[in-house]
Parts: sequence; structure tokens; C-alpha cells
Amino acid sequence: MRQVRVVGKLDCNFGWTGTELLLGGGRTGPVQMPGTLRGAYACVSSSGAAHRLVRDPLGLAKLFWGINAEGELCFSARPWRLVEAGCLFTEIQAVPPGIAIDLSTNGGPDQAQEIAAPRRAPDPGPGRPIEDIAREIRTTVDRYCAALAAAHPDARVFVCLSGGLDSTGVAVLARSHFRDVVVVSFDLKRPDGSTSADRRTAARLASDWRLPFLEVTSSEEEVLSGLDVALREAIDWRDFNIHAALVNIALASGIAGAHSGGPVLVLTGDFPNEYLVDYHAEVVGGKTYYALPRLSPGALQSTLVRGLETSHREIGPFQKWRLPVVQVYAPAVDQYLALPESFLGEPQRKERLTQLIFGDGIPEYVYSRPKTRAQVGDTDSGAGVLGLCLKHGIDSPQLRRRFADLHGVDDLSALDRFIRAGRYRASPPHLRRAP
Amino acid sequence: MTAAEVAERVERFVRTQFRVAPSDTRFSRSEPLFDSGYVDSVGVVELLAFLDQEFSVHLADEVLMSPEFSTIDGIAAIVGRLVNGKQPT
Repeated sequence: MRQVRVVGKLDCNFGWTGTELLLGGGRTGPVQMPGTLRGAYACVSSSGAAHRLVRDPLGLAKLFWGINAEGELCFSARPWRLVEAGCLFTEIQAVPPGIAIDLSTNGGPDQAQEIAAPRRAPDPGPGRPIEDIAREIRTTVDRYCAALAAAHPDARVFVCLSGGLDSTGVAVLARSHFRDVVVVSFDLKRPDGSTSADRRTAARLASDWRLPFLEVTSSEEEVLSGLDVALREAIDWRDFNIHAALVNIALASGIAGAHSGGPVLVLTGDFPNEYLVDYHAEVVGGKTYYALPRLSPGALQSTLVRGLETSHREIGPFQKWRLPVVQVYAPAVDQYLALPESFLGEPQRKERLTQLIFGDGIPEYVYSRPKTRAQVGDTDSGAGVLGLCLKHGIDSPQLRRRFADLHGVDDLSALDRFIRAGRYRASPPHLRRAP
Repeated sequence: MTAAEVAERVERFVRTQFRVAPSDTRFSRSEPLFDSGYVDSVGVVELLAFLDQEFSVHLADEVLMSPEFSTIDGIAAIVGRLVNGKQPT
């Protein structure tokens, strides 16, 4: 039988059963197999020679395994740690999402239980009023935040606020559930000292709501210095996610520098863009970036949600600074997947749904401002992190090469066998050695 | 449905969707689609959606990483097994 070794710390857990938080999942102690599991959750739970592995069905929490030169079965939340522990990148696999496994210690079969994944119904149809779905979303995120607040009553809560609808919704929730809320805004430093529309909107919200405001303003060099961290911690080389990770590294560094200690949580507004298919390709210098598959809105929603397994653009960077990050919309995935296809095709779907979820809790000036994307920058700068990376020659091939270098990979085609169609290479591990 | 019939439909899709030139002599049903650059990381998602829609098959994650799922012939073999498994002839 193989020895089990956990390399590095696993990420903080914020699983949600529908009624309660699942926060545990360290290296010891029993774990109950949940029937329903949403939010980020992964653990390797050991008791004596017995080992149980659990991973949430969306794969928001990351858990990889490999066999090192000593024959140990190694687990880690990051592939680079497994490589450092002596595992070959080309043999590293993810623990499959949506599974709880008791590894057999006597050569018998492992006991595995599937945890149901959220799925889009073939056609939810027009029968379900959007108002009902919006109400359910609000109820779900409210319950989740209430449970988080009860579990972390003394936490200082940092809300990453771009001034867009999703992050402003998170700020609304934070204000109503937590006592000690700070809003944080990222901006790229500009030679003329001007600020982005995102920064100005976030500042206005903080002022209107009388919340402390933390400005994280980074130079181009400071942002780009996070590239290796982004590639390692976000477990990805694809430009969209790495550009987002660079912004999150700046935010994490800023928050860590400003926080003087004590319990802390970081809340973000990730995922509604995937849930609502609120993405589009960007054209810079005549070249297209962030291309999307040509699919119907419903199929694209399923694809984007499924692809969340291979995005660690938030948890990864924040965890690097030991900041527990909560993606507040994660538990509401089932409600978003119930939205009819016709709604997903509406141009104003994000505004309409957000209005139904948060009403006038979000000020009108947020609803009416032009859409922006953190990686691209706003309408008056036009560059953002995408433009910054391109300016410095950091394009997709360069990101692939650097990721490969950082993981000891010579053959770049090996990367395409690690992430494909939005999934990591995955299979369940075993303690028994191959005959 | 035979693997050859599946392969024909998959080839037609790949040629159209990913704009494979008729004069491309390197392209064949045994050519690696991903390593040769015919299908990229976005395209593979479109390919999966096509297989789902055209043949009503859902490919498990482990199949996506298999060496078989890298050529048209291999994909046709996988889909053929799934289709015929569901609809015995």
C-alpha cells in the first residue's frame, strides 16, 4: 500500500449543503459525505490508515494527485507543489469533481460516492417566471452569507469592488450580513494620475455607504511581477484567466498589506458572467482575444459553468497571501442554470436579473454605467491588463511556455492533455500499487 | 451506425467549422486534430457540442484526454461505441 502525503496547505473550504456551511476538511478528522454540495470544497481527510477524499461537483476547490519517486501518493491543491515533491507533471491528475472516495487500505475496492453536479435542464422552458428564480437566488446568497457571518462573527470582510453589478451586489450582501466591511478597488497607475471609471464608481459607492475604502493602485511593473504567481496559483495558462489572476494578485497583496491581523474574509463577485453568458471576445490591434465557442446561449452557459473547474483565478492568488476568499454567487448555480434559454439571449439580462435580485439596493448609477471588464480596462483607458500584457510581449504562446517551464514540462503539447474542454485530466487515485 | 458513417459526419463538421482547406493534403482522419492545430481549446468545446447534438452522446471527462480522442477516426470509434451501445442493432 502506498503512503499518503499532503503537500502544502489545501485551500480554505466554503462548501454549502443548502442549509449549512462545510468549512472543515483539514488533514485529520472524519468528514461526512454530503448529499448536496455547492461552493468550493475539497479535502483529504485521514484517520489512521484510512483516507477520504471529497471534491465539490463544480470543481471550484482544486485537488490534484501524483505518485512521486518514492512511490508516495501525493495530494496538493497546486500541481507545481506536486512537481516539487517529485511527481511528473505529465502524470498529475485532478481528483474528479463531484466525488467522495474512501481509499481502500486492504486491497479491496475503493468506496466512491458521486455528489450530484448542477446541470442545465435540456430546456427549462418559459414556464418559470424570472422573478421567482431571482427571488431564489437572493434567498440562497442571503442564507450563505448569513451562515458565513455566523461562522466568522469577528472577521474583517474585504469586498473586491469593481463598481460593476456583480461586485456591487456582493457589497450589498456584505453590508447586510457583516459588521466590519471594507471595500477594495484595483486600478492601474497612470502617468497623468487619473483614475478609471471602475475606481471612481467604487469610491462613490464607498462614500455613499460610508464604508472604509482601500485603494490598490499598481504600476505596470508591479502587475507584471505577479506573472509566475498567477501561472502557478491559478493553475492555468490561458490569457483570460491569467489576466484576471494578475488583478487578483494585486488585490490580494494590497489587502494583505493593509490588514493588521485577526480574522479576515475576502468576498468576490465571480461567476455571474459565466452563469449569464456575459462574455464576448475582445479585439485589440486587429487581433481577437478571449474567443468564445460558437454555441447557443444555453449550451454556452453549460460550457462556461463546466469550465469553472479549470479556473483558479481568484482562490489561487488570494490563498497565496493566506486570504480566505468566498465566491458568494457559487451556491446559486442551480438557480442560474434554471434560467430559460430565451432569457440568456436577452441583451439586458444582467441588468434585469440584478434589478430583480437586489432592486434599489444597488444605486441607479451602477445600473446605468457602461459595462467593463477588469482585464480590458474601462472605456476611457482602453487597455487594462490585456493591453498591458500585449505591450510587454506576454501573449498566449508566452504564457504557455512559461507555465510549462514552471512545471518542468518540455513538450508543450502536454498542456493540452492537462486541460481540455474546460476540465483537468482527472481520475480517482488508489493506495494499492500496480501489480 | 458504423464508425465510418460517424467519421464522415465528424470530418465534414471539422472541415467546415475549422475551415480546413480542401487543398490541405496533411489533413486526414488519422491526423491528430489538437497537436496539429486543426482544433484549438475553444474548438474542442464546439466539437463536443456537435457530437452531443448530432449523435446524442455525452463523452465522459476521461475520454476527452484519451489518445483515441485526438483523431477523427478515434472520435468516430468512441462515438460509434456509445451510439451502438445505446441503440443495439
